[in-house]
Amino acid sequence: MVNDVFTFLVGGKAGEGVKKAGSVAAHIFASIGQRVFQMDDYMSLIRGGHNFSIVSTSTRWITSHYMKADLLVNFDKRSCETHINDVADGGIVFYNSDEHEDVNGVGIPFSSEAEKYPMKNLMYGVGAVAILSSAIGMKKEQMNQSIKNQYPRGIENNIEYANTIYEMVKDECYGKFILSKGEKQRPLITGNEAICLGAIAGGLNTYYGYPMTPASSILHFLAEQAENFGLAVVHAESELAAINMAIGSAFTGARSMVGTSGGGFSLMTEGISLAGITETPLLCILSMRPGPATGVPTYTEQADLSFALSAGHGDFLRIVASPGTIEEAYYLTAEMLDLAWKFQTPAILLTEKQLSESSMTIDLDVSKVKWSEPRMHKKGDYKRYAFTDDGISPLLFPPSNEINKWNSYEHDELGITTENADMIAKMHEKRNDKVNALVNHMKKIKSVNIICGEHPTNIFAYGSTYMSVLEALKYGNLNPTIVQPIYLSPFPSWELEQFKEQDNIVVEQSISGQFTNLLTEKAGINVRITIKRYDGRPFDPIELSKKISEVL
Amino acid sequence: MENLRTDAEITWCTGCGNFAILTSVEQAIIQLENKGIKRHEILITAGIGCHAKIFDYLNLSGIYGLHGRNSSNAEGMKIANPDLKILSFSGDGNGLGEGLAHTLYAAKRNQDITLILHNNNVYALTTGQFSSLTEPGWKGPSTPRGSFEIPFNAISLLIEVGATFVARSYAGDIKHLTDTLIKAIEHEGFSFIEVLQPAMPYHKWEEFKDKVEVIDNKPRTKEEALTLARALHKFTIGVFYQANRQVYHKGLYGDYNPLENKLSRNERIDKIRKILG
Repeated sequence: MVNDVFTFLVGGKAGEGVKKAGSVAAHIFASIGQRVFQMDDYMSLIRGGHNFSIVSTSTRWITSHYMKADLLVNFDKRSCETHINDVADGGIVFYNSDEHEDVNGVGIPFSSEAEKYPMKNLMYGVGAVAILSSAIGMKKEQMNQSIKNQYPRGIENNIEYANTIYEMVKDECYGKFILSKGEKQRPLITGNEAICLGAIAGGLNTYYGYPMTPASSILHFLAEQAENFGLAVVHAESELAAINMAIGSAFTGARSMVGTSGGGFSLMTEGISLAGITETPLLCILSMRPGPATGVPTYTEQADLSFALSAGHGDFLRIVASPGTIEEAYYLTAEMLDLAWKFQTPAILLTEKQLSESSMTIDLDVSKVKWSEPRMHKKGDYKRYAFTDDGISPLLFPPSNEINKWNSYEHDELGITTENADMIAKMHEKRNDKVNALVNHMKKIKSVNIICGEHPTNIFAYGSTYMSVLEALKYGNLNPTIVQPIYLSPFPSWELEQFKEQDNIVVEQSISGQFTNLLTEKAGINVRITIKRYDGRPFDPIELSKKISEVL
Repeated sequence: MENLRTDAEITWCTGCGNFAILTSVEQAIIQLENKGIKRHEILITAGIGCHAKIFDYLNLSGIYGLHGRNSSNAEGMKIANPDLKILSFSGDGNGLGEGLAHTLYAAKRNQDITLILHNNNVYALTTGQFSSLTEPGWKGPSTPRGSFEIPFNAISLLIEVGATFVARSYAGDIKHLTDTLIKAIEHEGFSFIEVLQPAMPYHKWEEFKDKVEVIDNKPRTKEEALTLARALHKFTIGVFYQANRQVYHKGLYGDYNPLENKLSRNERIDKIRKILG
């Protein structure tokens, strides 16, 4: 095992239950109180190709999967070839002996055994769970219980198949990787689920989306939970429709959210701009995948940062923040919903496939979240865009006898269209005043996460790359200070004064170094070197730790 | 007219058909108030174009949105609070050009909103380019040698995609337009009115007066309505089609109201705890 981490990798074609097997493995680890990080690597297709799921587990907090696996189950030849270098010292590889011979592994006739059952291909995943169960020394009865819970279709066949495989591998691996029991069982959720739950906890009423990986699972989860939480969840005809519907809902007082990835976000930018001038409170989830254009749909990157920071034409306040962990995704989503409503402006929660779709065991204080409370009009004549000291005009929701006009044209305090030079300037100033108000507010909340280390160098990372850095440092036993800006706009430069002239390294997933540029431009941070990855894959802690120690 | 007009300066051309549309909307609202509909429960949305200036003139709450997106704003309002009545204003370019998908989808969903399409056959505010409804041969600044695309038939198109109230009216007949607006607003489901109107720099009222005729018999079936909409010329006014079909928000959440019935913070937290186990 690498350090104190055990890693299980299962690989095969789409449609063979690879992802499910990874998820069952993650649940088995979580059920014995272990901490888990699961990453699914899959291609943009329905059948065939090569998919794998990799699950790392430990008794301590773990924030990344490891690409060196202790136990590998490959359903096909391609998987064996792909993962030939992903075997840890002392690791064991199982392969499908019906397909090919492999001298470095243990052959299991997955196909011929599965032939006996009607859902043959879908059973490979069950076989992988059986091998894992044996390897971690699980009793057969426990394994059967897990399979019963996790594979509700064709239970008897699944159990029979699992028992056959379990017996076959007994001599090779039974009890080879005994995992210790952790202190307590923790919930296991994906980043997107954390985002959804955070939004719900913060007061969400309506969600609008259009399917786009890696944000689709937000739409799916909320659609599934709509009735339970009394939400309206709509699959719109386009991202253009989604964001304009969300703005319509916000007008009525509904806490509204949209979610997408880069391509859909491009379409949404007109709505972001509309939210800017109409001062619509709106939360947008932007989950990044490699671009430009269609790019690489099911992989990860951090190349939409600059785009998010300037999304939408015109001058207006955009709030942009990115969660570093799945727990933070929960709290931050609720906090951003609150900020959007307090400051009546669009807020963009920036994340990436690595956080959106990976699963992690979490420690959440569910009730420690913000509840969005806007400033409301109390009495007297209503002016939608009334001038105030901090630029924030009170809100009013229909039905009301007062007239409430939101206008995409430049407007006066009543929301009536204007081309008056004086009024244009005043409205710009009013909206700009909200920037100062927000900055003052941000000085009272946690906008940057700093973990002080003993090494004089500082490492800057944001989003899920923060998790990769944490795990890399733990693996390499390295001890620099870690700085993770949670808020990216307005940029919390006041928190970073101390680092300006120190020795700084950045880790990010963008070839042009967008985050490095932001640090330099907004906070005057002197960056010595940027460690970049831009092949769609998240950093592996072992490789990253080597790269970091080379430059420390 | 009982505070239905704001103080905003009206900037439509003298003689523009939009004045009659504004008057008809005001009269329709007053008559609907007499029937028990509450004015403050009516919201408006508008796209961008000459039609949309009505947003500034009507003393009603709502969103003056982006070009083509008025239906999406309206759908979002209705979905969040189905107790509200939504009137959405569009032009022929706005609603059947830039916003075509939204117009068709709002009809497909049978959203319980009213879409009033000011059809002046031209992009007036942007200086006279051909629109989605312009006949071939239009010499505008973007088609100096004459346009050569065929126009949509707005009536048959909207019937086909699922609107449950489809009518054409005429800005030169305030009584007909007012009555049609009342019927459309009272209709439960997606109601669409194409309003024929001249744009003064480009047309004359005379071009309409002689040609406008009222539909004889309201068709009974969708097929009859489609046949009629295709056969009759574009100056035939009246209700072409009306039907009952489940409205979108009822399909989405039944008799619920996401705002009125929203869960408290504590109820949400308890349910989240349950999910996390």
